[in-house]
Amino acid sequence: ELAIYERMPDQLINNCFFSFILVTIIELERDGFSQNPFYHCLVAEVPETHKSTEGHTTVGYVLYYYTYSTWKGRCIYMEDLYVMPDFRERGIGKSLVASIAKVGTEQQCMHLQFSVLDWNKPSLDFYMSKGAQDLTAKEGWHLLRFDGVALIKLAQEAP
Amino acid sequence: MANFILRKAEPKDVSDILRLIKELAKYEEMEEQVILTENDLLEDGFGDHPFYHCIVAEVPKEKGTNGFTVIGFAMYYFTYDPWIGKLLYLEDFYVMKEYRGFGIGSQILKELSHTAVKTRCSSMHFIVAEWNKPSIEFYKRRGASDLSLEEGWRLFKIDKQSLMKMMAEE
Repeated sequence: ELAIYERMPDQLINNCFFSFILVTIIELERDGFSQNPFYHCLVAEVPETHKSTEGHTTVGYVLYYYTYSTWKGRCIYMEDLYVMPDFRERGIGKSLVASIAKVGTEQQCMHLQFSVLDWNKPSLDFYMSKGAQDLTAKEGWHLLRFDGVALIKLAQEAP
Repeated sequence: MANFILRKAEPKDVSDILRLIKELAKYEEMEEQVILTENDLLEDGFGDHPFYHCIVAEVPKEKGTNGFTVIGFAMYYFTYDPWIGKLLYLEDFYVMKEYRGFGIGSQILKELSHTAVKTRCSSMHFIVAEWNKPSIEFYKRRGASDLSLEEGWRLFKIDKQSLMKMMAEE
């Protein structure tokens, strides 16, 4: 659901939107619940009596992992935060972020980092109200990536 | 100067790693922001649960500067993208000025990309300051995409003080 929101903000989805989500349930299980998890996740659950129209009681989640800053040390990175539209404006998002803040401070993390798309005004406003600083605007940081063919090519290149 | 090796960092390297971290921070004009200590690096990188991994570039003793033989490093860790799975995140990457232009940086990047592919990572991510044109050109020449420009991603931070305030409000 979050992927749909991030890729097509103003339109309804087409049938082929699933093509860019390659992670399967099997991988999520292996990567999050083995001895050496690559991510952690908190879910927001409502009672049966308040379930969604499709019958879901899990209505939101936050996925995070630990990172490392060579300046400050341990940090916590919030990769995904999402609450189903019908369950917003009830403080669930705020609780999920506060829970991450608690985990971060318990684990002696120096700060919480995350990325937001520049058009996502509701999220930008929410985070700024919580004291977030836009490091892309303030310090000029850009996120870069080597993926797919570029990554394989790099691995094969002669020195 | 083709004579160098790349190897996994060991506990004895923490003082060199911190020295190079501070040199890189100085280049980024953020030297006063480095509060990490050698002890932090030791506990966090070589304990039961490492928060980072590190490779170092080393030259023979006779090629060293001021007695230093560790002349470059790269620090990385694994992150997770719920759409594509494991990623390798490059946190810091630096070669001392006197040792640039000899292919050391390229070899480090190649080593990292090998590690990424070998450990089933879909992608290697990192951040670069937009004024750092030499680094941006270096990465773009090798096929990197700028996700901030192409997709509009902005990096945010909430510091410890604001985190504690959030917890208190709940």
